[in-house]
Amino acid sequence: MLANKHAKIMLLIVFAILGFMIATQIKTTERQKTINVQRAEELTERLRDVEQQRDELAKEVERLQAASGSDEALESEVERLKEFAGEVPLEGKGIQLILDDSKVTAQVGENPNLYIIHDDDLLRVINELRAAGAEAISINGERLVSTSEIRCAGPTLSVNNNRSAPPYVILAIGNPSNLASALKLRGGVLDTFKFWGIQADLTQPEVVKVPAFKGRRIFEYAQAAPDEDKAAKEGGK
Amino acid sequence: MLYALAGVIIGFIAGWYFPLYLPLEYGRLLSVSLMAALDTVFGGIRSSMEGKYDNFVFITGFFTNAVMAAFVCYSGLLMGIDLYMVGILIFGMRIFNNLAAIRHLFLKK
Repeated sequence: MLANKHAKIMLLIVFAILGFMIATQIKTTERQKTINVQRAEELTERLRDVEQQRDELAKEVERLQAASGSDEALESEVERLKEFAGEVPLEGKGIQLILDDSKVTAQVGENPNLYIIHDDDLLRVINELRAAGAEAISINGERLVSTSEIRCAGPTLSVNNNRSAPPYVILAIGNPSNLASALKLRGGVLDTFKFWGIQADLTQPEVVKVPAFKGRRIFEYAQAAPDEDKAAKEGGK
Repeated sequence: MLYALAGVIIGFIAGWYFPLYLPLEYGRLLSVSLMAALDTVFGGIRSSMEGKYDNFVFITGFFTNAVMAAFVCYSGLLMGIDLYMVGILIFGMRIFNNLAAIRHLFLKK
């Protein structure tokens, strides 16, 4: 009887373990299902959100494209920047200065180089004109832009990599009297030229036409640096 | 028989309220050992109907089958072999065989 009772209790324990296992299995499966369902619902929700966002952004793109078609502000800004960069011809009040080599023959023993026009002469003129507020300058039809050089090239001068021989015609747009007086300063550029006999003819035409820069400019090495303020802000986040 | 039913119910209720959840990997192991346990139970029912029931054989068989099934499947997981599928298949077949035998024995009575 005792052995029998013992066996029955053992049986009870065994079946209790079986029940426990079944319950755990069912629970695990159920939870797996609900997790999947929850995940799917979550993903559906997010999909809906993202789709809505996408539609809104698409609308905004349309709106901005439509707006940019008639954006006069942008166009005028481009125009302004082109004028500054020398991409378009300009005209206005200004001065015209024609320089030619000296007719004075060098004395024996004197350096003949002193009687001809050099790049530094022109550079001084240009510097003076810019200081006096010249807005656009050209030398022999070459517009001076940010990359322009003025350099001796044998007997000629190279501006924008184009050589030209004397006489040099310098056109500058700006306040004519300011520009003229800046050049005519006592002891200034024209005084020096006069000393060496270099011929300088300064006139103030009603309209000075400065041509556009004719070359092509491509940045091979330079590229726009990231906005430092922005970068600092993002870095600070 | 009454004890067995009572045991299942007690165990089920205990398991339902016991906060134990298994991750998917170990859920497979549990399912295999559950199949082994069920197989032993149906085998036990069948042998008791045939009059060959031995309590000791039944209890040791219950535990060793369940634990060994889980262990074999675990080593299968380690080796990348889906042994749990094989276990479920074999145990399932045996359970249905036993069920058929039980039905036959029941009809013979």
